[in-house]
Amino acid sequence: MVNNNSENFIEVKNLTKHFVKNKGFISKRLEVTKALNDVSFYIKKGETLGLVGESGCGKTTTGRTIIRLYNPTSGQILYNGVDIAKFNREEMMPYRKKMQMIFQDPYASLDARMTVSDIIGEPIDIHNLATGKEREERIFELLDTVGLNKDHASRYPHEFSGGQRQRIGIARALAVDPEFIICDEPISALDVSIQAQVVNMLEDLQKERNLTYLFIAHDLSMVKHISDRVGVMYLGNLVEITTSAELYKNPVHPYTQALLSSIPIPDPDVAKSSKRIVLEGDVPSPVNPPSGCKFRTRCRYAMDICKEVDPVFKNIGSEHYVACHLLDK
Amino acid sequence: MKLLEVKDLRTSFFTHVGEVKAIRGVSFDVEKGESIGIVGESGSGKSVTSLSIMQLLLHPGRVVGGDIYFNGENILKKSNKEMMAIRGNEIAMIFQDPMTSLNPVYTIGDQIAEAIMKHQKLSKHEAKEKALEMLKMVNIPDPEKRIKNYPHEFSGGMRQRAMIAIALSCEPDLLIADEPTTALDVTIQAQILDLIKNLNKRLNTSTMLITHDLGVVADVCSRVVVMYGGLIMEKGTIDDIYYEPMHPYTMGLLKSIPKVSSGEKQRLIPIPGTPPDLLNPPTGCPFYARCNYAMRICNQQQPPYFKSENGHHESMCWLLHPEAPKVESYELLKGGVRIGK
Repeated sequence: MVNNNSENFIEVKNLTKHFVKNKGFISKRLEVTKALNDVSFYIKKGETLGLVGESGCGKTTTGRTIIRLYNPTSGQILYNGVDIAKFNREEMMPYRKKMQMIFQDPYASLDARMTVSDIIGEPIDIHNLATGKEREERIFELLDTVGLNKDHASRYPHEFSGGQRQRIGIARALAVDPEFIICDEPISALDVSIQAQVVNMLEDLQKERNLTYLFIAHDLSMVKHISDRVGVMYLGNLVEITTSAELYKNPVHPYTQALLSSIPIPDPDVAKSSKRIVLEGDVPSPVNPPSGCKFRTRCRYAMDICKEVDPVFKNIGSEHYVACHLLDK
Repeated sequence: MKLLEVKDLRTSFFTHVGEVKAIRGVSFDVEKGESIGIVGESGSGKSVTSLSIMQLLLHPGRVVGGDIYFNGENILKKSNKEMMAIRGNEIAMIFQDPMTSLNPVYTIGDQIAEAIMKHQKLSKHEAKEKALEMLKMVNIPDPEKRIKNYPHEFSGGMRQRAMIAIALSCEPDLLIADEPTTALDVTIQAQILDLIKNLNKRLNTSTMLITHDLGVVADVCSRVVVMYGGLIMEKGTIDDIYYEPMHPYTMGLLKSIPKVSSGEKQRLIPIPGTPPDLLNPPTGCPFYARCNYAMRICNQQQPPYFKSENGHHESMCWLLHPEAPKVESYELLKGGVRIGK
């Protein structure tokens, strides 16, 4: 992306991640899953960037590659101007303290054999942040921050509801005092009435601690609510990125338009009157993606050029970037 | 005539720690050709309601009271054999996860034909032809080739279409869809909801849509039942529920969803606390502990249903009692929920 602002807290440049799998039994036959292709974006300090898209579009891979749970195939990940894309384990250590992650499934992401205080204490121990009495106090403080109390510290995860478990996951992420948190579908496993509790808490924490979020979700209305800017992904490519208000008011990419029109709106009159763009078919396989624009197989406006040339990211004004050949017409 | 009438249904699970009262007296009905939505959080009893109707409850679950009339007959009194003739033929069901409800070792065509041959006197060849017709009807591309595919060769959306094809193959009077789009992406969800709506119109099938997503209900259904803690909190037409909700729980649900079309950022209003434990359900209103307007009586006595003036909107809340104190903020909330605007 063109923006060369030094304020950019996180900047991802041409990030590519291909998963290679050996399919052959005797002969070497490799199957390459192109999970991320040339993805570039930035996040400013204290900002929330939302990433949306269908399953398999690479939004989770983006988050996991930034935090280096996956090694990028190519591209740069700038954290405060430092490229961490090729750092080894030791070099990554200080950055692991600055970056944390909240996972989707509050049932799978907590170790069933550890007490809550062990779960929250583990990152504190790994980074040698506190011991003894101080460590205990810090755990109590964290529990209090996420709306749980001291008595919960000695219990096990199975004693908690989904919403409470997600709070424990958030407390664990906060334990090392991070600057940047990747929230990977943090609310999609929760009930509607509990989702709002967790989202409000994430917003409060962001204000209090000046946190920067990368918020990954498929619930478009929630992403709009929490994000300052939103990026839309399709089959490993970023197709549009802009402020959340602009994206929902003025979506330019045909995929964004279809995605937004398919949000079910909880208002009968609006639901009756709104015209839905229903996309035909399914997302193609990232092992064998279409040539040119990845979306052309499902696009209503597909032209000949879409088959041949990859569309490039263009700024169409006020930080609104779109990758689509329709803009050249 | 009413197609389905559920009267004071009670279902419990007899676990080793005690009786979990999953449904504690639920009554509603479904007219012919109508779509009704059942909304609620996990544990509210919405899925157990549908399993009780189908009589597919597994041990230790059991219907302990109430009646279910289908086409005028009490199906709770029917034997298992009689139910087998109804299940799949007159009442069909589609489930949340299409992968676990399809058999991986049979082709899609065989599975649709199986349902047809079970209930109709057709030869295998005729059943296969009908199966092909069904696949065409649910818009599976290239159906002649796809009919020979196995479930793993289908995508999530196509599997759900195949499930719908199986469910509708015997032209049931009632289709129960239990969270049919929860496992799917929004663009695929839009396809499936359109399909259900169109088929509903074409075949005049009644639909009972069970979901936690108020947006899906607003799109597909004409009436809504809101469940919480094993009870129906409120029921009415979609306009009643979305524009004139009477129960604080329904209002809370509507307020806790972000508004897509609003310009500026507004803070969400969550419902505090967590749902009640149905092992020891509260004696009074199940929403008491989380309600902003709770009174002393709410904790002591379960409220009766109060009907609104229009006659089809009912809610279980003491605030609607003529002698209840007029709470100003509640009165304000009543007319004030307009999500999409």
